[in-house]
Amino acid sequence: MKEWVKFTLLASAFAIFYFAPIDAPIVLQSISAGLSLLHEYARLHVLTCLVPAFFIAGTIAVYVKKDAVLQLLGPTTKKYIAYPIASVSGGILAVCSCTILPLFTGIYKRGAGIGPAVAFLFTGPAINITAILLTSSVLGWDFAIGRLVAAVVISVLAGLLMAALFRDHDRKNADGEFAAGLGGDVPYSNFTILAFFLLQLAILVVFGLSVDPALKAVIIIAMIVAVLGIVLFKFQKEHNLEWLRETWDLTKKILPYLFVGVFVAGIIEAVIPQDVVTALVGQNTILSNAIASTFGAFMYFATLTEVPIIQKLMSLGMGRGPALTLFLTGNALSLPSMIVLFKVMGKRQAPAYILTIMVLSIIAGWLFGELL
Amino acid sequence: MATVKILGSGCSKCKVLEQRLLSLKATHNLIFELVKVTDIDDIIPYGVMMTPGLVINGELKSVGVVPKDALLLEWLGIESR
Repeated sequence: MKEWVKFTLLASAFAIFYFAPIDAPIVLQSISAGLSLLHEYARLHVLTCLVPAFFIAGTIAVYVKKDAVLQLLGPTTKKYIAYPIASVSGGILAVCSCTILPLFTGIYKRGAGIGPAVAFLFTGPAINITAILLTSSVLGWDFAIGRLVAAVVISVLAGLLMAALFRDHDRKNADGEFAAGLGGDVPYSNFTILAFFLLQLAILVVFGLSVDPALKAVIIIAMIVAVLGIVLFKFQKEHNLEWLRETWDLTKKILPYLFVGVFVAGIIEAVIPQDVVTALVGQNTILSNAIASTFGAFMYFATLTEVPIIQKLMSLGMGRGPALTLFLTGNALSLPSMIVLFKVMGKRQAPAYILTIMVLSIIAGWLFGELL
Repeated sequence: MATVKILGSGCSKCKVLEQRLLSLKATHNLIFELVKVTDIDDIIPYGVMMTPGLVINGELKSVGVVPKDALLLEWLGIESR
């Protein structure tokens, strides 16, 4: 950091402390709203949802055999296999958004082509397991499933559309193979790994059930013991360490941003007037869905922070349709990601992709608001 | 002299692999040149999409994992002598 940058930062901090109306009611209100939302998340969602979700994501990162899935996205794969695989594989291939771009570029330039690559790019961040689990914990299962299904359907449609628009481009790329069989094997049966995965998922689900707390505690402790049993007696030490490292990595990457996001979401509720939200996105019209879609496309949401922000916008009166629309574009598009898209896809494909996603999200959100 | 390339745009496993290689280099007095390939356009031609990729003397050895020390030594020991 240069000296003059330090000076500017210090000077502006001073100016804020000096001039800002720190004891004005609105400032105090927004700070306390931010803190109380943080309190709510810490109480309700961190231990019971996020921590198990991070462990589950760590399990996926270490134990799911990704080679086999990747081969299904290669250049010779039939289209009717590549599209569905691309649209759901984001959930297991890309536990964290930082791995999306290499996979996308690979599928685009060496693999199944622009269509499946686009499908993957869109669903990758939207259907990652921690995001779905947190959505269901905060907003309910209907929203989590709506988000999941809409993302998968839109991704296939957008992929097909892009492939139709840019068919010429595709043929040039259809050569080369993915590196395969170099991922190293995990020497456990599929059954063991599946049991390990499902047990952790069950812990998370049971946390959410409304049953007698004593019974709940007994079930959860039993399942934690079972998970530990697999860890201690079935798995080798190196894989366990890797599992912990992946989990910890993800936690480090996501949790600080989430806390900031939750605080900001709390402030939003205190600062934005309710009438504005109701007027813009209160009804489930095409226009309000379009507003939500545009806002989501340009706004950057760090992983998972879309959940508290949409939660608070909804408590200010945002409709269910626009909320789903915001989920769809908020994750997939942002100003920074648009810049990357232009670089990777080119001047013609990138705007087409962005527009396709925005329009399809409007339709999906509108349908969700009308039907459910 | 062997050339060892780590393909990866800065994921945590890439850093672990780098540290592993450097510590092996120190403890076993290996001689090789370590190159980090971080630009995605240079990584994709190897067919690598799960980082880190490990390339030793132009040959792709592993993808998406940090190989065990024994395996790394086998690859390096044979090829760096």
